[in-house]
Amino acid sequence: MLKVAVGHSNDPDSAEAVDEVIAQCQAELAGVQPRAGMLFSAFDFDHALVLQHIYQVFPELELIGGTADGEISSVLGFQQDSLTLMLFSSDDIEIRAGVARQVSQDPVTIAQQAISEAQQQLTAAPKFCVAISESLTTNPASILHGLQSALGSVPVFGGATADQAKMEQNYQFYKAEVLNDSVPFLLFSGPICFSHGVASGWRPIGKRSQVTKVIDNTIYEIDHQPALDFYHYYLNEFATDVAYPLAVYPPGEETFFLRGASGYDAEVGSITVAGDVPEDAFVQITEASLDAVIDGTRSAFEHALDQYPGQKPEAAVVFSCSWRRYVLGTRTDDEYKAMAALSDIALPSCGFYTFGEMAPFKNSNRSFFHNTTFVTLLMGHQ
Amino acid sequence: MEPTEKDIAFKQLQKENRILKKKLERSEADRAKLEQTKNSKESLLKQVIVELQESQGILEQKSAALEQAIETLTLAQSKLVESEKMAALGTLVAGVAHEINTPVGTGVTLASTLADETEILVAEVARGGLTRAQFNDYLDTAQEVTALLLSNLNRASELVHSFKQVAVDQTHLEQRHFNLKNYCEEVLISLSPTLKRTSHTLTITGDADLYIESYPGAFAQVITNLVTNSLMHAYPLGKQAGHLTLDISQQRESVLLSFKDDGCGIPANNMEKIFEPFFTTARNRGGTGLGLQIVYNIVTQTLKGKVDVTSEVNQGTCFEISLPTNTGAIPKND
Ligand SMILES: Nc1ncnc2c1ncn2[C@@H]1O[C@H](COP(=O)(O)OP(=O)(O)O)[C@@H](O)[C@H]1O
Ligand SMILES: [Mg+2]
Repeated sequence: MLKVAVGHSNDPDSAEAVDEVIAQCQAELAGVQPRAGMLFSAFDFDHALVLQHIYQVFPELELIGGTADGEISSVLGFQQDSLTLMLFSSDDIEIRAGVARQVSQDPVTIAQQAISEAQQQLTAAPKFCVAISESLTTNPASILHGLQSALGSVPVFGGATADQAKMEQNYQFYKAEVLNDSVPFLLFSGPICFSHGVASGWRPIGKRSQVTKVIDNTIYEIDHQPALDFYHYYLNEFATDVAYPLAVYPPGEETFFLRGASGYDAEVGSITVAGDVPEDAFVQITEASLDAVIDGTRSAFEHALDQYPGQKPEAAVVFSCSWRRYVLGTRTDDEYKAMAALSDIALPSCGFYTFGEMAPFKNSNRSFFHNTTFVTLLMGHQ
Repeated sequence: MEPTEKDIAFKQLQKENRILKKKLERSEADRAKLEQTKNSKESLLKQVIVELQESQGILEQKSAALEQAIETLTLAQSKLVESEKMAALGTLVAGVAHEINTPVGTGVTLASTLADETEILVAEVARGGLTRAQFNDYLDTAQEVTALLLSNLNRASELVHSFKQVAVDQTHLEQRHFNLKNYCEEVLISLSPTLKRTSHTLTITGDADLYIESYPGAFAQVITNLVTNSLMHAYPLGKQAGHLTLDISQQRESVLLSFKDDGCGIPANNMEKIFEPFFTTARNRGGTGLGLQIVYNIVTQTLKGKVDVTSEVNQGTCFEISLPTNTGAIPKND
C-alpha cells in the first residue's frame, strides 16, 4: 500500500498557508500517519515557521525540501509564491531522509558520506533517490557526482533549489531545519516501482563554435575569443541570458546537452554555466519556441508513462527548470496542463521550478545534471 | 465560540486580497524578465539570419568554384585523351621510321656501290684502256644494283605511303573506301618493331576481300590500343610467347573484328571498370587508363558499333567489335 497526499496554498501569509496545506493533506490521509514528505516553498515565506507547524502535526516525518522559483501540484497547478507539500504513507515501503551539509567544502566526498550513512538506516537496498540540492554555493554537478558514486547504479532524481531569479540565497529543508549549502535527500526502498522521463524543447540555432578554454563550469574562450563575446554577438548585450542556454556537444559526439549561462565576468569576458563543460566541446546557442517547450514537457511525461513498470503510477514528482518559466511567461501553467492531460486527473503530483535538474538520460541509470529540462518521476506500489 | 458566516467570508476576502497583492508585485518583475527575453530573441534571430545569408553567400561561391573545377577537369581530361591519341600516333611513327630505315639504308649502300663502279669505269675510259670484259662486268653490276635499288626504294615508298595514310587518317578522321584487312596489315607493319622486341606473334586472318566505307584512322587507333594493351598487360611475366590474333569477318548485317590474346586475362571485378576513363592497373608503369576509354568512344560514337569483352583469368582476353553495315561501315565486296 502506498498512500500519497498533496497540499498546496498560495496564501502569502506563512502561518495561513502552511495550516491550509496541512489541513488538505490530513483530509486526504484520513487518519493515516505519513512516513515521509517533500516540501517546496516560495522564497518569501517564513520557512522556520512553516516547518514548525508541520512538525507539530507530524513529529515523525522524514521530510526534505527547499526554496523554489515556482511550485506545481495537482491541487493548484502552477503557482508562484506558494507552498506545496507531498506526503507518503506506506506499511511496507521504506523511505529515509538524509542530508549532506556544508557541501561546498568538498562536494563529492561529503555527498558520498551522507549517502552511505543514510543507506545504513535502511533494511533493504535503495531503489532510487530524490535529492534537493544547493545551487549557489557550489556546482551542483559535483554534488550529483558524489551522490551517484555512492549509489552506484541507483538513479538520482531531483532539482537544485532556487530563489526567484535573484541568485543570492537559497534554502534546503531537512526535517525541521532550514539549511543552506546542503543537500537533503530521500532514499526509497522496498516494494516500490518507478519510471522517469526528461526532455527540454530547446534547439540549437546559429553556427557551431568550439570551447577553447574552460575550467570546470567557467568558459573563458570560445573560438579563441572571450566567451562573453559569443553572447554579445547573438544577444547584442554584454551579459548572458539564461533563456538562451548553450547546446554543448562533447568532442566527437552529435548529441548535445544544455548549459544555461547563469553568470559572467565582464572584465575577464568569461561566462559561468550551470554544470561543467568538457574541454574542446562544441557549443551552439539555442532557442525555444513556447510550443516546443510545452512539447518537451509532454514528451518527458509520456516517456515516463510508457516506461512505467507497474500497474499504474500513484504519484508524480516533477522538476522543471526555472528558465522554462522565464520563456513560457503567462503560459507556464500549460506545463502542468500538458502533463495533467496525459494522466489520470486523480494522479497526485507535486514539484517545483529549479535551478538545475537531476535525472538520467533516457534509458540510462546514471544521473546527469541538466539545465532547461522537465523531469518527471512516476512512482507507485509494486 | 464558533466563527460566524461573516467571519469566514471576511477571512476569505483577506486571503484573496493578500494573494492579489503578491501577484501584482510578482507580475511586474516577471514582465521585465519577459521583455528582456523577447529583446534577446529578436537580436538572436537577426544575427542568425545574418549568418544564414553569409553562409548562403559562401555556398554560392563554393558551388561556382566547384563548377569551375569541373570545367577545368573536363578540359584536362579531353587533353589527356588527345595526348593518349597522340601517343598512339607516336608509336606508329617510331615503328614506321624503323621500317623505312632498312630499305633506305640498303638503297644508300647500293647507290654508293654503283657510284664507285661508275667512277672506275669513267677513269678507265679516260685512260683509253677499257676492255670489253670490263665493260660487260660493269653492265652486269649496274643492272643488278639498279634492280635492287628499285625494289628497295619501292618498299620505302610503299611504307611512306601506308604510313602517310595511317597518320593522315588518324589526324583527320575522313571517311573513305578501303580494304579492311589490307589496312589492318598496314597498321600492324607500323607496330611490328614494338612487337619484334617481344617473343609474341601477331596474326591477321579473315576475309581479304572485304571493302568498307568508313573511317580508317579510327580502326588504326582501335587496333593500336588493343595491341599495346595486350603487350603491356597480358603477359606480366614477360617470358611467355603470346599469340595475338586479329580476325576479320563479315556477319549477316555487320562486320566483326575479333582481337584475342592468350594472356593473363582480366579479373572479374575489374571487367566492368576497364572502359572507365582513368581505370588502370599499371599506373606505376605509365598507364593512363584512357586506352580502352578511347576504344569505347571510337567504336560507339565514330563507328556506331558495339564493343564486347570476354576474358578468363590465365586463358586470355577477347575484344569483339561489331559494326553495323547500314551505318558507319558499309561493306562492299569488289
Ligand atoms: N589484354 C589485356 N589483358 C589484361 N588486362 C588488360 C588488357 N587490356 C586492358 N587490360 C586492363 O584494363 C586496364 C585499362 O586499360 P586502358 O584503358 O588501356 O589503360 P592503361 O593501358 O593505361 O592501363 C588496364 O590497366 C588493364 O588492367
Ligand atoms: Mg592502354
